[in-house]
Amino acid sequence: MLNLAHEADHALLAYIEAGRVAQDLLRQVLTQLAGYSLMLMTASRRSSLPEQSIRAASAAAARAFGDIRALAVPSAARHHHHHLCKAAEAARHAFASAERCGRPDAGEAERDALTRALQAATAHLRVTARLLPGFEIVDFGQACCAQHAPAPAGGS
Amino acid sequence: MADYSIWVLEYAAVEKFPFSVMMYGPQHQGTRKLPYAYALVKGKGETILIDTGYDHVAYGKALADAYGVSNYHGPREVLRECGVAPEDVTSVLVTHAHFDHMGAIDLFPNAKFYLQKYELDQWVWALTLGKEFRFLIGGGDPADIVKAVAAAKEGRMVLIDGDREDVLPGIDVHLARDTHTYGSMYVTIRNDGARESADRWIFAGDLIYTYDNLTGLDPASPQIVPIGLAVGSQHNLMFASDEMLKSVGGEVRRVIPVHEDRLKTTFPSRLTRAGLQVVEIALAEGESSKVR
Repeated sequence: MLNLAHEADHALLAYIEAGRVAQDLLRQVLTQLAGYSLMLMTASRRSSLPEQSIRAASAAAARAFGDIRALAVPSAARHHHHHLCKAAEAARHAFASAERCGRPDAGEAERDALTRALQAATAHLRVTARLLPGFEIVDFGQACCAQHAPAPAGGS
Repeated sequence: MADYSIWVLEYAAVEKFPFSVMMYGPQHQGTRKLPYAYALVKGKGETILIDTGYDHVAYGKALADAYGVSNYHGPREVLRECGVAPEDVTSVLVTHAHFDHMGAIDLFPNAKFYLQKYELDQWVWALTLGKEFRFLIGGGDPADIVKAVAAAKEGRMVLIDGDREDVLPGIDVHLARDTHTYGSMYVTIRNDGARESADRWIFAGDLIYTYDNLTGLDPASPQIVPIGLAVGSQHNLMFASDEMLKSVGGEVRRVIPVHEDRLKTTFPSRLTRAGLQVVEIALAEGESSKVR
């Protein structure tokens, strides 16, 4: 006889395992894009911008978007997945906006759109971090306060 | 008389922090209190912060549960001790891009922010490396950079390329390249306004955590001992420490590590009702003491 509760747990764990990889990639490219956007809005010379890095990040964002859409989503993770998808969508909008922002005729409207898309993406990512374990956005494990962290369960 | 009043304001703390992180080497010398703090600098028509603290709404619980960070209080409550509101802050000098130093940009709606360009450039580069290099970007939060983008859109973000004199009147910033972080920045306040100042204060960011980084633990044989956390090199940390110390004529107390609990006994101080230290480094003419 099937243990449905047990199966549900496994499905959720599988979702977390696969989802956190995609979310981590999304977090990473979003940070890159935010850094690039900051340079875009403050740089005096466009030639100093890391265009190659941002093209690679854009390709990675598209990959993350595909991975997230392809996740098997158990019912317990539906809300989480909704925000993960929204974060990925907003990130894609942000990449498109950043490209428009880089054009010589870009103005306030383009910069607004870019900022709003970045804010939306990070807001949705934060929600994903709150809803399920394993989706933390900041790696405190390597931060200044890291050495105070308790040892992992079973560790010495 | 001083041009600026200067206070160091504690906003949270880790009560038992391993000393071996504050100072590389002493692995078996227990723990010390590690206050989280920022500096408030007021004068010449400016209300300046050196760093912003972090966003408790986003991380407070995680930090409290996993890392023992306690007694967090937001900038409105902390700054009130010196009669300042977050809206009054005109400029923020961000020493580096860790969450506890630039994680509250959005709480200062009228401030202009100053950050080293190299810090940002290298973070963006480090993110292109594989996951196995994540140590290099630990402590960073994409949301903080997004907050910086929002400030930049409003013309309130300045990326500084290296050292700059008089970024604000009588205040210089210096790039300590590839040290604690890629583009850590320390701040010099020439509090008499003179180029060859006799009243110089240095705000070290996280280039040092304690005065012991500048002196070592043996008074008979002083030495510079770096902190235990660098994405750059210990070599660079030591030479940055030496540079800071020399610029104040070797007077250790003038190089301020905001994470140093002994600031409270080195300078006049008081404990607030919330259990947070207010440390008074200098008082400008006409300013009343906030610790007496």
